[in-house]
Amino acid sequence: MKMPFHGRFLSIVIICAILGGAIVVQMVRINYTIYAQQLIAKSEDYQGIEKVIYPSRGNIYDRSGHILATNQVGFELGIDLKFVTDPESIAFSVASIIDDMDYVNVYELANTEKRDVENRYFVLSSYVSKEKIDELARLKENYAERRQEEKSSKPSLSGLVWYPMQQRTYPEGTLAANILGFYNYFSRETAQGVYGIEEAYNRLLTGKPQSVFMPNDPYLVEALPDIQPGASLVLTIDRDIQSMIEKTLADAIEWSDAEGGTIIVADPKTGEILGMASTPYFNPNEYWKYEETFPGITPYNRAIGTTYEPGSVFKVITMAAALDSGVAEPSTTYNDATGVYWVANSWPIYNWDGGAWGEQDMTGCMQHSLNVCLAHIAIDLLHEDLFYQYVQAFGFGKSTGIDLASEANYPLRLPTSNQWVEIDLATNSFGQGIAVTPIQMVTAISAVANDGLMMTPHVVRSVIDRGQQYDVTPQVINSPISAEAAQTLTQMLTVALEEEASDALVEGYSIAGKTGTGEIPTEFGYTSELTNTSFVGWGPSDDPQFLVYVWLEKPTISKWGSVVAAPVFRDVVEQLVVLMRIPPDNIRLGTANE
Amino acid sequence: MKNQILQAYKQAPWRIQIQWIGLFMLAVVLIAAITGLYLNISAQAATSGRKIQYLESDIEDINNEIADLTTQLAKAQSTKNMRVRAEELGFKMIDPNNAVYLEIPGYDPNANLVLAPPRVNIIAESPIVKSSYKISLWEWFIDQIWQPTINSTGFEGGMLP
Repeated sequence: MKMPFHGRFLSIVIICAILGGAIVVQMVRINYTIYAQQLIAKSEDYQGIEKVIYPSRGNIYDRSGHILATNQVGFELGIDLKFVTDPESIAFSVASIIDDMDYVNVYELANTEKRDVENRYFVLSSYVSKEKIDELARLKENYAERRQEEKSSKPSLSGLVWYPMQQRTYPEGTLAANILGFYNYFSRETAQGVYGIEEAYNRLLTGKPQSVFMPNDPYLVEALPDIQPGASLVLTIDRDIQSMIEKTLADAIEWSDAEGGTIIVADPKTGEILGMASTPYFNPNEYWKYEETFPGITPYNRAIGTTYEPGSVFKVITMAAALDSGVAEPSTTYNDATGVYWVANSWPIYNWDGGAWGEQDMTGCMQHSLNVCLAHIAIDLLHEDLFYQYVQAFGFGKSTGIDLASEANYPLRLPTSNQWVEIDLATNSFGQGIAVTPIQMVTAISAVANDGLMMTPHVVRSVIDRGQQYDVTPQVINSPISAEAAQTLTQMLTVALEEEASDALVEGYSIAGKTGTGEIPTEFGYTSELTNTSFVGWGPSDDPQFLVYVWLEKPTISKWGSVVAAPVFRDVVEQLVVLMRIPPDNIRLGTANE
Repeated sequence: MKNQILQAYKQAPWRIQIQWIGLFMLAVVLIAAITGLYLNISAQAATSGRKIQYLESDIEDINNEIADLTTQLAKAQSTKNMRVRAEELGFKMIDPNNAVYLEIPGYDPNANLVLAPPRVNIIAESPIVKSSYKISLWEWFIDQIWQPTINSTGFEGGMLP
């Protein structure tokens, strides 16, 4: 017996079965269509976001722990189209508060058709200051109050969003900027250190950015991996010494009307650079103004980035070679009878004043800075092989290896080169026809101040990475001369300076030093009236603790190093001995009451 | 007679119904309990997830604040500011001729600044949370089934001679 409504029930069952079957078929079909992968990919977009976490950039400290470079909070400003209701107000507020923001551009972004864009978030500016964001936040609140009062949906800054992030800052402003370089942080993906420490140690300072998936599903959230900040660096630079030499250099340039200049203070025993001033001065907090400060080929740091003919300071190298090789002793004499030295009977070499100085010992040659005497030493005593052997041993013709970016180097013209002529040996002996950087001079002459050991110049003293400190060990580059030769030359240059009653002398301290006046070559030869004036000195002579190199480029007040650079050296050393806590010789050697 | 005997051992229909209902209710209660347990654990996990997100956000805020305060401190102690403050307090640059030098035993002006402990070999740290606490009961159960037999001496399977 059939149940009542049996047919109807059967029909419903069949329809349901067909519908169920159709759903199953459709489910299977969807998984095998060409859209399946797209759908899966789309669904992943809603699962969370892949975010790159950038570690904090490491700090840079001076040798006493004062911060020279660190990070402060800035904000990324963007538009999230999902929440934008009033593009006009967004464009107006952003254009009026944020510099360099254009109303039309912001409006076009804020008014983008939402369904047309894959990515609904636009970055307006990578870094906006906290003050500007505070202004925007206040405006956003004001708009909210107005909407409530007027019971309308406008004006609204809904969709205008900002996220905090760290930006590079240099609390000392221009101080040591030529050493630090700068960090171009505007584009986070391509940001990197430029020049100086920031470039040379970019990888260490940056740390390792890490890509992390951040799920929307809280059930899947896990703690972020422990991302270590970039390594911090402790420099050999002393903030007070750096500040002092920058001020002294600025005053010296103003006084001498020089085009530019450099002062380097180094510890000859370790190669540590205690201060390195170079003009022009630059504020790395506004690194986008770089072109204004360094137009054309102006070097970022003259101390390492400019080569020039040093002039008579190079005589220190020639004399060191002569003493070390044994071809000359302090008592060796040279008779400057005519004031001229003929090279291969073709090229005459004159003294700086064109005069003849009669019989001189080696100290006299250095004291009066006699070109003819040094040419004689190089050509007749050392000869070309030995002379250039020493010049190379002192590191000329190759980079010093200082840990700063963009070190320049001019290749040495050697007798094996087709361009070399015999007069080069004579002119090279007193620092002409040879191009060097100030840091090369400092490195080479440090060997004379450090018992013949030439140390690698460096500006990083310690690296702090993952909570541990690694102290940099001073490295010996070479030992171009013996300790005896170095001490003898130091003694000679101390006596020479005292007997000359140089403007470089510092009361109470024994200083060894040498002036330099380098002629500047033009396309027609050495026709320029302008010169490069320099002075190198170190002290105290019996136990050198500092070496100071001064270079003033094209001063107009005088063309002589003894007039321009020597007093600047004295100014520096008078302040330096106080900052380095070096007592006068009579106190230091315990002879005050004798 | 045969029918009567069978009748004697048969349960009363209401009793059978009660048993079925009881079994059904037991199943329902079990499913509800397991579901409730899972819901509770899921809710706790989700809450913990949210807490982690908030804490990560707090960490970022604190790091930003530290960076900001460090910068403020560095600016306040910059050479320029310190000079101005020193001058306001009546300090002057020392005249080297009037300087008094004292010998302080043990003082080394060139001593390295110590901002962190010296470098030592880093020993890999073991994770703080054991892996068994990071997997579900089900995953742990599957792991136990598939894990190869390891005896106390560390040899896989078999017996020592």
